[in-house]
Amino acid sequence: MNASTPATAPTRVLVVDDEAALREPLSDYLIRQGFVAVQAASAAEARARLTEAAFDLVLLDIMMPGEDGLSLCRHLTETRGLPVIFITARGEATDRIVGLEIGADDYVVKPFDPRELVARIRSVLRRAARQPEEPGEQFVYAFDGWQLDPLRRRLTDREGALVPISSAEFRLLIAFLDHPRQMLDRDRLLDMVQGREAHLFDRAVDNQISRLRRKIERDSRSPELIQTVWGGGYMLAAEVAKVPPHG
Amino acid sequence: MLLAIALALMVAQGLSAALMWRMQRERHLAGLVNYAAFSLLGQNLRVPLGRPLHPAMPSSAMMLGPDGAPEIGLRMPRPLRVQVEDRAPQQASDRRRPEIEHALRQVLEAQGVDAARLFVAERDPARDPLISAWLAQPQLRLARPAGAPRPRLIVAAIGRGDGTWLTARLLAPRTERAVLMTLVLQTLLLYLVLVGTAALILRRIARPLKALTQQVEAFARSRAPVGQLEPEGPEDIQRLIVAHNAMERRVGALLDEKDVMLGAIGHDLKTPLAALRVRIEAVEDDTERGRMAAGIADINRSLDDILSLARVGRPSDPLEPTELSALVADVVGEYEDMGEDVTLGEATRMVMPLRATWLRRALRNLISNALRYGTRARVTLQREGRDAVLRVEDDGPGIPDGEIARMLEPFIRLEASRNSATGGTGLGLTLARAIADQHGGSLALANRREDGETKGLTVTLRFPLT
Repeated sequence: MNASTPATAPTRVLVVDDEAALREPLSDYLIRQGFVAVQAASAAEARARLTEAAFDLVLLDIMMPGEDGLSLCRHLTETRGLPVIFITARGEATDRIVGLEIGADDYVVKPFDPRELVARIRSVLRRAARQPEEPGEQFVYAFDGWQLDPLRRRLTDREGALVPISSAEFRLLIAFLDHPRQMLDRDRLLDMVQGREAHLFDRAVDNQISRLRRKIERDSRSPELIQTVWGGGYMLAAEVAKVPPHG
Repeated sequence: MLLAIALALMVAQGLSAALMWRMQRERHLAGLVNYAAFSLLGQNLRVPLGRPLHPAMPSSAMMLGPDGAPEIGLRMPRPLRVQVEDRAPQQASDRRRPEIEHALRQVLEAQGVDAARLFVAERDPARDPLISAWLAQPQLRLARPAGAPRPRLIVAAIGRGDGTWLTARLLAPRTERAVLMTLVLQTLLLYLVLVGTAALILRRIARPLKALTQQVEAFARSRAPVGQLEPEGPEDIQRLIVAHNAMERRVGALLDEKDVMLGAIGHDLKTPLAALRVRIEAVEDDTERGRMAAGIADINRSLDDILSLARVGRPSDPLEPTELSALVADVVGEYEDMGEDVTLGEATRMVMPLRATWLRRALRNLISNALRYGTRARVTLQREGRDAVLRVEDDGPGIPDGEIARMLEPFIRLEASRNSATGGTGLGLTLARAIADQHGGSLALANRREDGETKGLTVTLRFPLT
């Protein structure tokens, strides 16, 4: 392998946190994991580092004195399109939604498992490499009266009531919504839905399908939306439209 | 309140009306007695002819109609008023009036007249030959309006020594009904005015009090200041409202302060905890590192429980109509995926306004408890009447009956040792109950018994479906 190709160049991560007690060991850990980690103790310092060198991803603490993480994140995603993972002390739903709506790609809640953080960094980078995100392409999926907001991961039923779904169900549903009226076999579904919860997903696809059916089918014993296709696959039997949110 | 005042007023007015009625009657009676006495005495005293018999008479009761105007038509010619008759005046249809008789006797005896043989009765004017003839006169008929009540005829007679009877006849208008009507009308009018005024005053007091009550109730429920109440009503109540506003502001400020403080504590403790969690990755020994990670996870869970308990009364996220069975299925799924023995039984779909983050937390606490103390958990969601009923059952030893209430208090666990292998802060149930509370619901613990033997514990969460 040629060391100069971008594919093998070490990933450059900017760690922005005002707490040296966390920032330093985290940077050390990332370096041990093969990353290049640069530290910044404030949003201002982060802006300075970003002009000096190029980075692949920013790890960002939300609560910082001076300019906070949310504001810096908005700046980063708007001007540079840099992937951002939030580090937050609070685990409440509103914060999570705000974090993702503001353009962050993912978040971890303190105290986090560093291995999980690394897995998420890799996953975010993979996603960023696969499909360069176009900002402003906000939409929700509409199918058979239901709506799925992919950004906020919210599924609402025909009456507009929120129907909670797990991450695995969310990914499964996205896979179906991106391929309506197409037969998707188990291997393909597993491939498409394997996300960061891969360890949660080693149960059979069938199990997740049946959970999803319990939530969205009128009668889960005779499914109409997600139909079983003879030969070992499933198909979403509905028209899918992409509509503007709150439309 | 208004009802009580109205009732009291009604009783007081009724009493006063009754008293006035009695007084009127007595005055009327006294008038009759006086008139009869004067008629009889005048004759006895042989007042010279041609002189008006009783200048001071007739009494008002006699001469005044119900409207206060003189009852001219009833002025009888003198010969009719007092007559000497040679036989006892009693007729079969007469109604004796002993009360008048008694009063008249007293008056007469006071004047030194022997009134041993006294007769007083009320008589139908039509049955009295003298009066009926007089009343039949055409001019009298014209003077009296048609339909007016027939006057009452009182006949008073005193037996004289020579066996003749001196008989006085007096016609009294039947004023009772008119007087009664006036009295009733008066009473009613007074009553309406008083009750109306009382109602107005009460309303002035009651409206701001009601608004204040609603404000206090809303504040107790949401613990979020809804906004200040406009002081209105009487001065005392205005001051109460101002004082309440100040208190509510202060309580709100204290609660906000607490939230900020808890947020800061959470942040300040979680950052070093996160640093520690990163640092232990340097530990070579996998077992040792695993234990350290578990320890940090334990501390973090306790911290979360404490922070949640402190915040549960003032949630920052709004209620949102949510399908409850999907939420329950999600949480049960999490445990299934971790290989825990959790089963979801009947789960009826139902939508209720809820805070998903909090409700998940409550359900996780209940399922974790069931797994910790009862090895397996069965979850069901049913609609019972207008309630959503969520049950988590385990097959554990249950809770001694005397301990059930205590189990809902913070930091209480059944085992004596706080550092037992089962872990936990003892906040799980307290928090679950507080979350049920936050949603307007309730949490109940009950041992499940079969054949007198405890087979496990059932925790029931009950939410009103609105």
